[in-house]
Amino acid sequence: MIDVKKLWTKRRNAHVTQTLKYFSLMANSGLIVSLILLIVIGSVYYAKLLQALPENFPAVFILTIVFSVWLTKSPIRTLLKEGDLVFLLPVESGMKQYFSKAISSATATGAFLTLFIFTLLWPIVQFFIHDGWKMYVTFGFFLIAAKVFNIYVSWEERRLPYKSHQTNYKIMRFIVNFVYAYLLFNEAYIFLIAIFAIMYVLKNFVFGVFKKQHGYQWEMLLAEEQSLKMKGYRFVNYFTDVPALKQTVHKRPWLNSLASFSFKKKNALPALYMKTFVRSGDYLGLYVRLILIGFLFIYLIPAGWWQLIVVFLFFQMFALQLFTLYTQYRWNVVFMIYPIKQDTRVKAFQNWLRHLLIIQGVFYGLFYGLLSGDWMIAILMPVGAILYSILRLPTMTKKHITLTS
Amino acid sequence: MKPILEVTDLTGGYLPNQPVIHHLDFTVKENEIVGLIGLNGAGKSTTIKHVLGLMEPMSGTSKIDGQTFREEPENYRSQFTYIPEMPILYEELTLWEHLELTAMAYGLEEQTFLTRVRPLLEEFRMDNKIKWFPSQFSKGMKQKVMILCALLVEPKLYIVDEPFVGLDPLGIQSFLEYMVKFRNNGAGVLMSTHILSTAERYCDRFLIMHEGRLVLSGTLEELRVRSGLENATLDEIYLYVARGKVT
Repeated sequence: MIDVKKLWTKRRNAHVTQTLKYFSLMANSGLIVSLILLIVIGSVYYAKLLQALPENFPAVFILTIVFSVWLTKSPIRTLLKEGDLVFLLPVESGMKQYFSKAISSATATGAFLTLFIFTLLWPIVQFFIHDGWKMYVTFGFFLIAAKVFNIYVSWEERRLPYKSHQTNYKIMRFIVNFVYAYLLFNEAYIFLIAIFAIMYVLKNFVFGVFKKQHGYQWEMLLAEEQSLKMKGYRFVNYFTDVPALKQTVHKRPWLNSLASFSFKKKNALPALYMKTFVRSGDYLGLYVRLILIGFLFIYLIPAGWWQLIVVFLFFQMFALQLFTLYTQYRWNVVFMIYPIKQDTRVKAFQNWLRHLLIIQGVFYGLFYGLLSGDWMIAILMPVGAILYSILRLPTMTKKHITLTS
Repeated sequence: MKPILEVTDLTGGYLPNQPVIHHLDFTVKENEIVGLIGLNGAGKSTTIKHVLGLMEPMSGTSKIDGQTFREEPENYRSQFTYIPEMPILYEELTLWEHLELTAMAYGLEEQTFLTRVRPLLEEFRMDNKIKWFPSQFSKGMKQKVMILCALLVEPKLYIVDEPFVGLDPLGIQSFLEYMVKFRNNGAGVLMSTHILSTAERYCDRFLIMHEGRLVLSGTLEELRVRSGLENATLDEIYLYVARGKVT
């Protein structure tokens, strides 16, 4: 018999170790500096924004929306693995202890994050509702209580065999959470007690019943675990390479024209690179995000030739991130045995990257030109992209290929 | 018959001084299907990797059309297509785009591609799935994509690793018919498989590997003579060899 409690502890420890490792990698990466910069700028603007908000700002309503969404979303990391569908099924009856550990851990994380989000929004509460540490403690307590309720109840909800039924109950929870948060931020504590009673009934007589009727929905639990894991990886992937990241594919048919090439041998790889770029969730998202963040920097930093350095840094960030696409097919035998020479492959990759850099440069140039009217420097931005791709890309590729092969 | 693939005294492996395959000698000629047979771990996949030019031999050579991979990489690789044991697809490409990419990578003319692709899609009953992405395919359908890509190119040599796993009976039949057709038109096929009854019916010659060595090779008749098992089926000969009775 497997000791499921031990299994949980082992997996949790492995998970924590991995998370810490990724944190240290993230801390080492250059992007963290720009993130800190953004947080500093962000907090300055947050303070300014609060000053600028009108008297009749619907703070209660917005807080209610934020927290009813947050409370309803109750992710639970079960740390299940694919193999569990085979190896843990026989001990299904014993899994209760494993999952109760998972729920406790999700409760702890959920409570912490609830408090974190509330602390972030605390200035708004201070401004529009009530100030004072007593308020902070009271609101914090009630929000955490609701989070615990939601995690517990949503676990029972996960026993339902159909996604659509789960969604129905989720909607029900959202309504309860909405009323709860609304009453809370209006400081209507007496009504809040009534809601507690409703929650008690729901817990014991609605969601509690599922336990008797249904077993665990292993496949759904596994799917949830995997999607949560991928979410975590994708976040880390902004800072450093995550080899385990499986790309999600979006069809994006409206972008197909970008990836249409004439039927020639030399176009085989450019077409593949472009289609991968356009359809895989993360490359295009990264590109758009970097362009937008670039706009923000161009906007915040006073106009001048030094903007060219800023833009150059963004070219560098983008190129570095996109090298993962080159290595994506490293283990693909079918790709490796195409009768295409190694340097043709490298050139195709560089060409493709050059095009994207030039487009990026054109975007920055247009934005800068419209903002400052200084079209001289604006034109130098796409020119910079070309220079960058001629001067930097070959050495970067060389370094990358020797690193990865 | 002209040899297409010539493997001479091939030794290789993953760690220096620890070869997995030892002194292999065999050929695949025009107009023949050669079955590569052996237990799990006998060295079939390693042999195939050497032939594909993905691993460097420690000694010996693998020549296609008289050239090794090192001498003429592009030409070497354009002579064959490969059907891997586990289907490997591009998650971002549709079925149609897989076929198109393969055709482009192997330098097919667009017109040739279009005339070949339709009958293939129909034969494997994939013609209504050309816009599908790999995530929508079952294991067998993924295998069909691999087969379609390999057949589309119509190379001189097909290297096929365990093609029947996950394929439905109609798919297996269609695949074998194509193999026979291309063989009759002059192509050579190197096919690794465990399905011995099928191999017995379709392969012209057999290479039986055991613990990294080629222990028996030849037509079924020759195998019977060499193993001393008269009227034996391929199954029986294979079991005989696999139990280490032939060295």
